[in-house]
Amino acid sequence: MSAITPTETITGQVAGVSPGLRRRRAQSPRVAKHLRSNRTAYLMIAPMVILLSIFVIWPLIYAVYLSFFKISFYKGSEFVGLQYYMFVLQDPKFWNSLVVGIEFAAMVVPAGMVISLLLASFIKVLSKRMASFMKVTVYVPAVISTVVASVLFLFMYQDQGVINWFLSLLNAGPVAWLNNPGTALPAIAVPAIWLGLGITTLIMLAGLLDIPDSYYESAELDGAGFFKRTFYITIPLLKNILLYLFVTGFTAAIQMLDLPLVMTNGGPVNATTTPNLFIFNNFRGATPYATSFSLTTALLLFVVLGLISVLVFRLINSDKAVDG
Amino acid sequence: MHKRRNRAAAFAAAVVSTALVLTGCSTGGGGDTASGTTTVTFWQQKFEDYQGVWFKKYVDAFNKSQDKVHVDYQVIPADTWAQKLQAAQAAGKQPDIATTNYGNIAAGVVNGQFAALDDYMPAESFSDIKENVSSFVTIDGKHYAYPMLVEPSTVLYYNTDLVTAAGLDPNSPPTSWADLIDWSTKLTSGDVKGMTIASTAPDLGWSSWGLQYNACGHLPINDDWSKADATDPCFDKLLDFYKTLYQGNLIPQQPKVGYADGSPYGAGEVAMMAGGSWVIGQLKNDYPDMLAKTMVAPFPSIDGDQTKPTATLGGWTLTLDSKSKNPQAAADFIQYLLAGDPAIMADFFKAAGYSKYTVRTSVDEALASDPDASADPFMQTISEKVVAYGKQEPGYPWDVALAFGTAIESAMKGTDTVEGSLATADAAINDVITKQGLAGTAPKK
Amino acid sequence: MSTATTPVSGSKGTLRRGDRNRLIKIIGVVLITLSLMFPLAWMVIAGFKGKTEVLRSPFQFFPDMWDPKNYIAIIQDPQFSRAMIITFLGAVIFTVLSIAINSMAAYALARLDFALKRFWWVFCIMPMFIPGMAILLTSFMVVSQLGMLDTLAVLIIPGVASAVQMFFLRQFYLNMPVAVEEAALIDGASRWQIFTKIFVPQSAAVFVVVGIGSYMAYWNAYVWPILTITNPDLTQIMQFLGNFRSDRGNEWGLLMAGSTLAALPTIILVLFFQRYIVNGVRISGIK
Repeated sequence: MSAITPTETITGQVAGVSPGLRRRRAQSPRVAKHLRSNRTAYLMIAPMVILLSIFVIWPLIYAVYLSFFKISFYKGSEFVGLQYYMFVLQDPKFWNSLVVGIEFAAMVVPAGMVISLLLASFIKVLSKRMASFMKVTVYVPAVISTVVASVLFLFMYQDQGVINWFLSLLNAGPVAWLNNPGTALPAIAVPAIWLGLGITTLIMLAGLLDIPDSYYESAELDGAGFFKRTFYITIPLLKNILLYLFVTGFTAAIQMLDLPLVMTNGGPVNATTTPNLFIFNNFRGATPYATSFSLTTALLLFVVLGLISVLVFRLINSDKAVDG
Repeated sequence: MHKRRNRAAAFAAAVVSTALVLTGCSTGGGGDTASGTTTVTFWQQKFEDYQGVWFKKYVDAFNKSQDKVHVDYQVIPADTWAQKLQAAQAAGKQPDIATTNYGNIAAGVVNGQFAALDDYMPAESFSDIKENVSSFVTIDGKHYAYPMLVEPSTVLYYNTDLVTAAGLDPNSPPTSWADLIDWSTKLTSGDVKGMTIASTAPDLGWSSWGLQYNACGHLPINDDWSKADATDPCFDKLLDFYKTLYQGNLIPQQPKVGYADGSPYGAGEVAMMAGGSWVIGQLKNDYPDMLAKTMVAPFPSIDGDQTKPTATLGGWTLTLDSKSKNPQAAADFIQYLLAGDPAIMADFFKAAGYSKYTVRTSVDEALASDPDASADPFMQTISEKVVAYGKQEPGYPWDVALAFGTAIESAMKGTDTVEGSLATADAAINDVITKQGLAGTAPKK
Repeated sequence: MSTATTPVSGSKGTLRRGDRNRLIKIIGVVLITLSLMFPLAWMVIAGFKGKTEVLRSPFQFFPDMWDPKNYIAIIQDPQFSRAMIITFLGAVIFTVLSIAINSMAAYALARLDFALKRFWWVFCIMPMFIPGMAILLTSFMVVSQLGMLDTLAVLIIPGVASAVQMFFLRQFYLNMPVAVEEAALIDGASRWQIFTKIFVPQSAAVFVVVGIGSYMAYWNAYVWPILTITNPDLTQIMQFLGNFRSDRGNEWGLLMAGSTLAALPTIILVLFFQRYIVNGVRISGIK
């Protein structure tokens, strides 16, 4: 397998592994140029490309086209150019919702990933029987629908809910978790983390199980503790998974709708109005203006998400994910 | 090599053709069928369960009563109603008949969404509608919706057991905001809050319309919708009122359910509640024990004058889509259900536990002979003291309402001062006026 | 684990340390299980509560009386069993198609070199960033024009090609050792054979992970089925459960009981497939 021997130091290993992998990637491309396989490749991506073209890309192009109109399905749409883009960009509530969405993602994604990594590391050291049990335990909560989870956490945050009951044992509270501008967003981040934990942990676990034990064993011999091993072995080696989890987690979190809709209705005073809730609330207007405005907002959200993701790909990964 | 590539091709083709086969098993949609029956679609926004039961019963009865028109009835969840309707409109699949609330009629007419019913229904059907309600559905002399019911948005409910225990007299409920705050303070003890009222912007947006009229005699926009009017000092008092209730801990700080749901009152977690008349129906169905100890009164007024409006008369109508291919058939159903035999609507109000109010004189007459209706302790109070002074829901875009709801919320939660919140709302409403070109578009009575 | 790293001396000291480790692990398992399962348990138990009891304050975990009437009402509702069967059927077809389509594309984008590859990669990954709300109206117009409304196809086909799943599979395929592929090429195997004979068999674990994801996405879909399905025979399970919700008082007991019953097939699937999530998922960075 790997060329690393137990005698190497931790830093030695890292120095030995990463550049090694990097060099190999750079020098020998996964496929030699003379083996270009246009026909097979195109056949293999064809179903995906065709389906995406019909059901995602064409609707997107059409939506962009519609966004230049004041849409009316009865009186005929009126061409207004970039007017709605101006309206959205000038709306402080749009910018506020973006900030809320980004803050929300910044709470949910890193916390979720750290907890998942710890859980996965824990499951890895368990005996086979306990590990099977834990794999199910961790995943099963994810089967709850977001609406049910929202309702449940809504109850737990009540003045007389479980959480304030614990506080009362400590002679503190009650705290109006969901109605305090400072606590409302973190309070709805908790169920979001909880809901995402299952799949994230399973993916992390799958990745962890793939790292040869010899890496850890040699590090352990060198006296590296859990955190050192995590930082110098696990995280660098899980880079691909972490990139995936980060990007998908981020796009999912920033687009959260159900939790704030059910738990806070966007309040207090828009402190939990995520971009999608902002769009959802505008959509209710049922006027041509509302239709055009919410459509345009959604398109601008797409631009923002795309830009952030490009940035993430550039920052975190670089050679692999983007160059493909 | 060739053979293998062909296999890849075959597999890709198989996947795509599976997709196409699945697509192919489409069933044709409504419209005229060969047998001469015309199918019209009817979408109802989901409300209380008993409404669904009533609709289903009479749709079936209508379908059985004749063989010319078949009504295809669908219940749509409220949270996806707007999305479903707009998507359907975009694709030309919108229903012939839909439930529409009074507030959306004006905007819908401007957008050309509704057909005037006068062309399809007999004139007597319209003369039967009570005059004030008739104006809710009339624009430029034409009826664009047939009203079904009105429900006042705000009524005061109170728990007589708790009121008596607090040394207050249940027979002289609070009449002014100051009284109400006094009562709320006295009724708040331990885990029971004195009062509950809307506290999030989307709920406040519509539920406070009556109190906006009460405080100022007008809404935060001028009559022809050309300028915001939210900084009128009388609104300060309205925001102060909400603020005192919230910051004085007199209402639940984290409501479990929205304004429209009366369950915290039903469960005895609050002593008083601002709620729509529909909550009576909920109490009758879910909290029968609470009924005997519940009294209703008009919501207190800014200065104790109970002839000032405290509620808007919300409610639902059926509208006929202007693009309907079978407008006469659809109108025939509306005529049958809402404008025909008064017994059908009387049955509705009975099922609703008299928590909603009639819009037709003939239905009133039918109910007058119903001993249950006249014996109902709540009905008389609400219809004489609340409905009588109730105002029509404004027809301006929701953004205006939401801007003012946000102002109330930010004053309540202390994210801004009362004046600051109103100034923000004023600017926001002016912004809506400019961007949506509202000036001069207010519907003419 | 190799024995070389853990010196086995057989002394009492190490045994006791082993016992203590085991105890700590068991405590950890129990604590994590409790905190993760608490909300789920609450949902199951709330299904036994009456309509107004679920909402009651102060928070109460157990019902006054264990009354299975909500569960019985749901099980006896023919609409429920019909919705479960049709949703399950749709979810299985969806998952299988989704794995087939996305893994093919993932393989090509990870391992093959072809013209305009970068363009197609961006093309296939971009949908991940498109908010559903942006294309809600227009994709509805498309399926409506294709005559797909009120068919099982409208629930399955539009979502089957998934950028998220393809992305995950691609990250996995990127890390398969090059050596195997090169050896197979020298032996005269075609790319398609390498995919079906080498990559697919090794993908069991990763297919389970993405498969569960696809299955759940289909199972929990709410807005799209409401938009596209009106035929009661095709009503999806989340549409059915949505009937218990309303602005004016929710049927909490029925909602919780229904959600519990609706989660059962998924839980059984997870129990069944968890054993596939074992060694050999090459999604880490090692070659």
